[in-house]
Amino acid sequence: MSAATIEAPTRAPRVRKHRRSGAAIHIALIAIVAVGLLPYLFVLTTSVKTNEQFATSYWAPSFPLHFENYTTAWNQIAPFMAVSIVVAVISIVGIVALSLLSGFVFARFQFPGRRFFFTMVIALLMVPGIASLIPLFVMMRDLDLLNTLWVLIIPRVAGGAILGTILMKTFIEGIPQELFDAARVDGAGTGRLFRSIMLPLSLPVVGTVSLLTVIGVWNDFFWPLLTVTDNALKPVSVGLLFFRGQAGTDYGAMFAGYMIASLPLLLLFLFLSKYFLAGIQGGLPGSH
Amino acid sequence: MAVQTPDRVVPDTVAILADTNPPRRRPSRRRISWGAYIGLAPLAIMLGVFCYYPAASGIFHSFWNWNPGGESTFIGFDNYATMMTDQLWWESFKNLGIIFVFGVVSWVIPLAAAELLISLRSERAQFVYRTLLIVPMAFPGVVTALIWSFLYQPNDGVINTFLSSVGLDALAQNWLGDPHLALLSLLFIGFPFIAGLPFLMFYSTLQNIPKEIFEACSLDGVNRMQRLFLIDLPLMGRQVQLLLVLVIIETLQYGFVAYILTNGGPDNATTVPVLRMLNEAFSGGNWGYAAALSTTLFVLTVVFSTIVAVAKRRDSTTNVKGM
Repeated sequence: MSAATIEAPTRAPRVRKHRRSGAAIHIALIAIVAVGLLPYLFVLTTSVKTNEQFATSYWAPSFPLHFENYTTAWNQIAPFMAVSIVVAVISIVGIVALSLLSGFVFARFQFPGRRFFFTMVIALLMVPGIASLIPLFVMMRDLDLLNTLWVLIIPRVAGGAILGTILMKTFIEGIPQELFDAARVDGAGTGRLFRSIMLPLSLPVVGTVSLLTVIGVWNDFFWPLLTVTDNALKPVSVGLLFFRGQAGTDYGAMFAGYMIASLPLLLLFLFLSKYFLAGIQGGLPGSH
Repeated sequence: MAVQTPDRVVPDTVAILADTNPPRRRPSRRRISWGAYIGLAPLAIMLGVFCYYPAASGIFHSFWNWNPGGESTFIGFDNYATMMTDQLWWESFKNLGIIFVFGVVSWVIPLAAAELLISLRSERAQFVYRTLLIVPMAFPGVVTALIWSFLYQPNDGVINTFLSSVGLDALAQNWLGDPHLALLSLLFIGFPFIAGLPFLMFYSTLQNIPKEIFEACSLDGVNRMQRLFLIDLPLMGRQVQLLLVLVIIETLQYGFVAYILTNGGPDNATTVPVLRMLNEAFSGGNWGYAAALSTTLFVLTVVFSTIVAVAKRRDSTTNVKGM
């Protein structure tokens, strides 16, 4: 300790030492980034190779680039992507409608049992999806919903509305009451309050909830695997397994397919990384 | 739950408005109260039918020889008794234990990365590196699993090709086909493990430590390693505690990566409870037994989630958004 205080006045060597350690930090970070991204870069470069190019130059990019791999892959992947997008869009509409309404009610109204109902909603955060998978499957079979889009949508809406309601309630509580009062004084009814104040103000949370839903749909695996056997109704997560089987050893097209399937989430990450991270950190069980 | 609802606003304003405009407020207040139940009805129906009912049905049927669509017979605790002697089930928990320990040990890398990142003085550089480090998070889990299954391929796979191109053919392995290596291979998926919650939590904790503390340290001549152990780690205690429980819960649900890469094999070397449960139900048709297994997983999750909730209530400084 005392040694350092004596050393402090000699400034020049310290600065140089800082710079050297700065360079070391950069090198270490670049190395870690490289190791993390290499598998994806490998897939990206291989996705524009033919099998001959892949055999002759395994590591290096090789020209000409064969973008037709992407056309081949797209033709096979597109139906799966379409299912995922349809499921995501309908689920988002359902989740946002359900959780905006319930969040609004929980945040702004007094009624007996409010606490109880809200606790019942939060308690569901503790029920892992995998634990109710088997009874839910039996239920869906009894309802004759297997191999339909609804079997993918309904459980997702129910599951998403849990976190959605909690996020909405927390957010709506933060909106200043004065806004609601002012609108009431101006003669707005409850419906008008909901439409003209709540909806526009809660757009950020709507965004977070939508993003979480898209990530969820793209990552959900066991549920669609077990409930949907019709290839035309498979979402992208499960469709990719089928696609891999079809592509066989045509690695270029196979990897192009992986890239196409990842593109939606990558774009969302690129443009909405703040919400994306908030979603991941907020979307974990127990973190609320 | 530690939910503090600000009850303050509504009654106050209703009272104030009631003074100025009594005839209109009072009846509307009573009407709102009923409207609230109507507003909650859709959510209540949805959650009741598709969340509470299945969970209850699973617990209920775990005491039955469940035969969906046919006759089911009540058998008491037989399913649980079978579970206690189910060798494969306990073996799958042994694998979970390995997965958990490996997961926790692997935090060393995200921690080191967060420390390196926070040492950069340029905010811009920090942002660029942070973004690059977490890009793998944006890939769908299935794609990452499929890519790694290619890396591990015995013939065309990246790892074996790399080993033979540097003259280390002897080290090439059938990574996923060898019972001794399969689990380890699964664990290394996602190496260097930075794109995930631990890194984000470590990094944001370090960011939240006031700069003055670091300055005081460097004035006192505390070097980087000492700072890590004397300041950074103690300040991260809470986060680590929370992460531990989150990882336990996550580990209990571990399964889809193993399904895609090895499907529990070879020789059950990579079997995990979730796969065991699905196998019993969908291949074996033992729905009641599978329900008992899933109830067990459910109870374990609730126990650990409760620990999180309790830990969080004691602590208001955690930076993962609390309620």
